[in-house]
Amino acid sequence: MVDLSLSNKRYTYVQESESEPTRGAIDIHHVIINGSRATGYACRKGLGFFLVLLASSMYFLLGKDNPFTTLSWGFLLSGLFVMLQSRKFVKKESVVIMPTFGIQLETQYLSGKTVSRFIPIGKILKPVLAECVTPITCYWSLSLLLRGEEQLTLVFKELRPPLKMLVPIWKALCAVIGTDQSEMIAEEEHVVST
Amino acid sequence: MAEPKARVLMVSDFFFPNFGGVENHIYYLSQCLLKLGHKVVVMTHAYGNRSGVRYMTGGLKVYYVPWKPFVMQTTFPTVYGTFPIVRTILRREKITVVHGHQAFSTLCHEALMHARTMGYKVVFTDHSLYGFADVGSIHMNKVLQFSLADIDQAICVSHTSKENTVLRSGLSPAKVFMIPNAVDTAMFKPASVRPSTDVITIVVISRLVYRKGADLLVEVIPEVCRLYPNVRFVVGGDGPKHVRLEEMREKHSLQDRVEMLGAVPHSRVRSVLVTGHIFLNSSLTEAFCIAILEAASCGLLTVSTRVGGVPEVLPDDMVVLAEPDPDDMVRAIEKAISILPSIKPEEMHNRMKKLYSWQDVAKRTEIVYDRALKCSNRNLLERLSRFLSCGAWAGKLFCMVMIVDYLLWHLLQLLQPDDDIEEAPDVLIHYHGEKIN
Repeated sequence: MVDLSLSNKRYTYVQESESEPTRGAIDIHHVIINGSRATGYACRKGLGFFLVLLASSMYFLLGKDNPFTTLSWGFLLSGLFVMLQSRKFVKKESVVIMPTFGIQLETQYLSGKTVSRFIPIGKILKPVLAECVTPITCYWSLSLLLRGEEQLTLVFKELRPPLKMLVPIWKALCAVIGTDQSEMIAEEEHVVST
Repeated sequence: MAEPKARVLMVSDFFFPNFGGVENHIYYLSQCLLKLGHKVVVMTHAYGNRSGVRYMTGGLKVYYVPWKPFVMQTTFPTVYGTFPIVRTILRREKITVVHGHQAFSTLCHEALMHARTMGYKVVFTDHSLYGFADVGSIHMNKVLQFSLADIDQAICVSHTSKENTVLRSGLSPAKVFMIPNAVDTAMFKPASVRPSTDVITIVVISRLVYRKGADLLVEVIPEVCRLYPNVRFVVGGDGPKHVRLEEMREKHSLQDRVEMLGAVPHSRVRSVLVTGHIFLNSSLTEAFCIAILEAASCGLLTVSTRVGGVPEVLPDDMVVLAEPDPDDMVRAIEKAISILPSIKPEEMHNRMKKLYSWQDVAKRTEIVYDRALKCSNRNLLERLSRFLSCGAWAGKLFCMVMIVDYLLWHLLQLLQPDDDIEEAPDVLIHYHGEKIN
C-alpha cells in the first residue's frame, strides 16, 4: 500500500508499507527517477557523443575516405557507447527496512540489473543526514554509520534526492535503529545480571 | 521600527583553524552578530582534512569548500571556477549581504564578483596596509580596484587604513566606514597579583618576520639590557628571524636575561602577557594592531613603533610611541620604565572595557549592512560604466571579465535553475530561553 508520495522535477518518492502498521511490518522506500528524464538523458548523451565522433572523424578522414563509411562507423560506435553507458543509468533506488532484522539497499538500473546490499541491524550505529560539499555544489545525503567501518555508507549511491524526500526515510531508519538498540542494551544487562 | 535582520555570508580564505587577526575578527564579529539576531554563514577553503560543513558556537555555520590553497593559504585563482559553489551557497542560505575580508584573499574577490553579478549587496573589509611601489603591490592594487569598483560599502579598521584603501583602489571615501577592531576583555584580564617591579619584564609576542620588525628587536634588546641590569625580556613567537635572535643572545651572553618561548598558542597568550610589565611592539607596518590592545587589556604599558594605524589605537597615557629606529626605541623604553610606577593595571583594564568591545563593532557593522541593503540595484550597463573608469586598458579588460561572468551566470541558471537549489533549514539555538533563528 502506498503511504506517502512526493515528487519534484527529477525524482519521485514512494513509501510502501503494510496496511496495518504493526511493529514488525516491513517498510519500503523508493526513489524513482522520472521516466521521461532518464531515457531523454540517455538519448541526449548518445546523440552528443555521436555528433562529436562524426565531427572528429570527418575532420581526420576528409577527402580520404567514403563519407558513408564514416557515418556508419559513427552510428555503430555511438550506439555501442549508449548501450554500455545505459548499464550505469539508474532507474530506481530503494531502501527496504525490516525491523529487528536489517536494512536492504537496492539500486535498479535501466538495463534491468539490480544491485543490492544487506546490512544487519546490529551493525548500524546511526543514520545521519549530512551536507556534502564539492568544489561545484552542495547537497544533502543520507548515510549510515556502521560498526567497525571508518567510512559512512551512503543509502542512495547514485541518486541525489532532495531533503524533503530524505527526512521521512531518515526518521523511519532512526525509529527502527532506536528501538532495536534499547532492546539490545536491555538484553545485555539481563545477561550480565543473571 | 526595527530594521529587518540581515543574512550575512562572510567570505575569506583566512578562518580557523588558521590563526591570526583576520580569523579572530571574523569569528568574534560573527558571534556578536548572531547574538543580535542576524544569521551568519562563513565560507572559506578547506584546511587539510577539514572539508565540508561545520557548526561552531552559537550555530555559526562554516563551509570549508574543497578548493586547493596555493600560496600563503589563499585559494588558487580561477576567476570563474568558484561561481557554481558560491551561487549554491548564496541560494541555499537565502543570503542578503555578502561580506568579504582581506584584500589578499582570492576567494574573497571572486565571491564578491559573483555576488555582484547575481545582484546581491556586497561589503568589503580591508585589514592590512599595502604599499604602492613594488610589482606585487601594483598588481594587488589593480585587483583591488576591480573588486571595489562595484561594491556597496567598505569598512576599514583605522583612519590610516581608510586613507590607504581609498588611495589604492580609487574608491569614493563616502562609501568607506571606519570600524576599529576590538579585544575580548573578558579573556585578557590583568594578573590578580601584579608581578614585582624589582625585575622589570618586557614582553614581546609576534611572528618573527621582517614585517613585524624582528630586526629592530635584535638591535634594541642588547642595548636595553646593557643600560638596565634589572630588565629581562620574554620573547614569544616563531618565524624565520628566530635564528637572528638566537645569535644575538649568544653574542651578548643574554641567555639568562632573554627568554625565548617559541610559538605561543593564542589560548596561552594571556598567561604570558601577565608575567610582564611592558609590552614591546616593533612592527614596521600595521593597519591596526590587536596585539597592543590585548596587552593594554592585561594592564601592560605598551611601547610601540609609530607606524600605520598604531597611534589611533590607544590613549596617549597607555602607550609610548617611537620611530622604527633602534635609538628612538631605546629612548621610548627608558621613558616607559620611568613612568611604570604610575601604571595601575586594573584601571587600564577597566578603561579598555569601555573603549573597545566586539558588541560595539557588531552594532556599527549592522549600520553598514543596513546602508548597503538600502543601496539601489544597478543593472549590468550601469555597473560596466564604473569599470571603464579603472584605466585605459584595465577598464576594458574588467568589463570583458564582468560580461563573461554575467553570461556564465545565465548558463548556470540554465543548467541548474534557481528553484532546483533547495534551501537549507536554519539551525535554531536557544539563548536563555529565547529562540534565535
